[in-house]
Amino acid sequence: MFLCSIFRGEVVFRDKRAAWLFIAPALAFLLLFKIGPICVSFVESFMMTSYSGAKSFVGFENYIYLFKHDPVFWNSFKTTLIYSVVLNPLIVFIALVLALLLNGSQKFVKFFRTLFFLPTAISFVVVAVIWGVVMDPYYGLANSFLKMIGVGAQPFMNSTSQALLCIIFISIWRSSGYWMMYFLAGLQNIPESLYEAATIDGANNFQKTMKITIPLLSRTMSFVLVANTAFNFLTFAPVYILTQGGPNGSTNLLMYESYKSAFVNLDMGRATAISSILLLMIFVFTIFELRITKANFEY
Amino acid sequence: MKKKNKISKKTIIIFIVLAIIGLIYFIPLEWVTASSLRPSGSLYEYTEPLNMETFIPVNITFENYVNIFTQQHFGRALMNSLIVACSTVLLTLLVSSMAGFALAKFDFPGKKIVFAIVLITFMVPFESIVIPLYLTVSALGFINTYAALILPGVANGLAIFLFNQFFSEIPTEILEAARIDGASWFRIYRKIVIPLSVPAIITVIVMVFMFQWNSLFWPLVATHSTRLEVVQVAISANRMTEATHWANLFSSAVAGSIPPMVLFFFLQKYFVRGISGTGLKS
Repeated sequence: MFLCSIFRGEVVFRDKRAAWLFIAPALAFLLLFKIGPICVSFVESFMMTSYSGAKSFVGFENYIYLFKHDPVFWNSFKTTLIYSVVLNPLIVFIALVLALLLNGSQKFVKFFRTLFFLPTAISFVVVAVIWGVVMDPYYGLANSFLKMIGVGAQPFMNSTSQALLCIIFISIWRSSGYWMMYFLAGLQNIPESLYEAATIDGANNFQKTMKITIPLLSRTMSFVLVANTAFNFLTFAPVYILTQGGPNGSTNLLMYESYKSAFVNLDMGRATAISSILLLMIFVFTIFELRITKANFEY
Repeated sequence: MKKKNKISKKTIIIFIVLAIIGLIYFIPLEWVTASSLRPSGSLYEYTEPLNMETFIPVNITFENYVNIFTQQHFGRALMNSLIVACSTVLLTLLVSSMAGFALAKFDFPGKKIVFAIVLITFMVPFESIVIPLYLTVSALGFINTYAALILPGVANGLAIFLFNQFFSEIPTEILEAARIDGASWFRIYRKIVIPLSVPAIITVIVMVFMFQWNSLFWPLVATHSTRLEVVQVAISANRMTEATHWANLFSSAVAGSIPPMVLFFFLQKYFVRGISGTGLKS
């Protein structure tokens, strides 16, 4: 079965009591703080809280309302989809290119690996702060540079058309180095002999990359794509710190909308319905991505 | 001779490409660090036109750093984050390694269900359940306590998975021999299994510490008193007030990034090794 193939280890000891004693603490934590909340999320999303604070079961009402009568939600839903569809392939592509460039033994390679990983070691909060000031429309470094090369100043996060692109750029800057590490780990597992054989057959570097490296990285690729999807759907910090969903809702990602719904408007039913939808979106995307990467794998 | 030339030409091209990308990474980091050392009134004074003074502060001062500690309790935020991150690391190490040991070396009824639970919990990211988690944690009465910040972070399926992977490499014969000699299971776990799994332990330390140190969403939701303010909340508070306090924002961002960076620099090698041990090998 799938489960058993993921977890390894031949089983020898049959001491039931000892096994459960070792498992129990972890299981308690997982049930209380993970499985419990997942169930709460679904249950709560079927409830409505009245003004008096009484809860009542309303079935799919929260969901139906979101999709039928809630333009703010629709806008967030679309924004989140655009954000993910643009961002995911870009991050995977850039991380892969960085890994291929850094898969050597030259002296400078180590320096660049650390430099590209650095944004991951610092928090998304700090990353957002840094790019917020660099992209400041009036005093920011980015505009000084753009003026110098003759492009002219940009409004960046003050503009409806550029704000989401800015958040996407910041996310790429923050995360590419992290996924690059996974590709580097994958690259180191490809046997050198394959490249030697290809060289004898007269293959050039580009052919070697396309025919050997990329196909053999497909397992890593599918892991990175899936993990990265979940991560990106849940982007919160840059929106919270830089744009608060604006201007005009252009960066109002679902995660931020559900936060506002829960803790600003105190509508837990709507908030949990949104986070359940997010979980479902992650699930659907994951299945889809596993499908397409598996197709590649079999080829 | 000819071949050697060709290689060095390729190296030069790679270096140039990397250097250009590297600038996009280096410049913002450098500029914020440099600016945090400027007098608080002149942070943006040198951004235009671009010249040496943009990147090298003229009148270096530490006032912005002194201010966040004397006026803003940044010291307490650092302390809180340190307490939260270290407690979570210790608890996670203990709880997850025990579970990983049981899953790697024992057979027991219900094992498949436990596997399924571990798998689900590391497929569902923490952030996606923050709001229902708030409802659970407030039902337990933990809101606005250290427990609210620490305990949910201990439920870590990925850490259990990592330990499981690592422990299954330990030869069963050693454990059997110890068992025949009369050692208890806990003694075997403590004296044999744990000392053999230092790389896995280090990977989990880095992973959990960084996760807790860098988290914003959960602390924001689970606590609402300055007494429990953690680093990321303290940093973003400088931006959220009516008028952004730029000088304090810069210095707190730089100061708050030092601990995870130090940790990463020391443990980088093991972390990468841990990644390649997560079963990604083809």
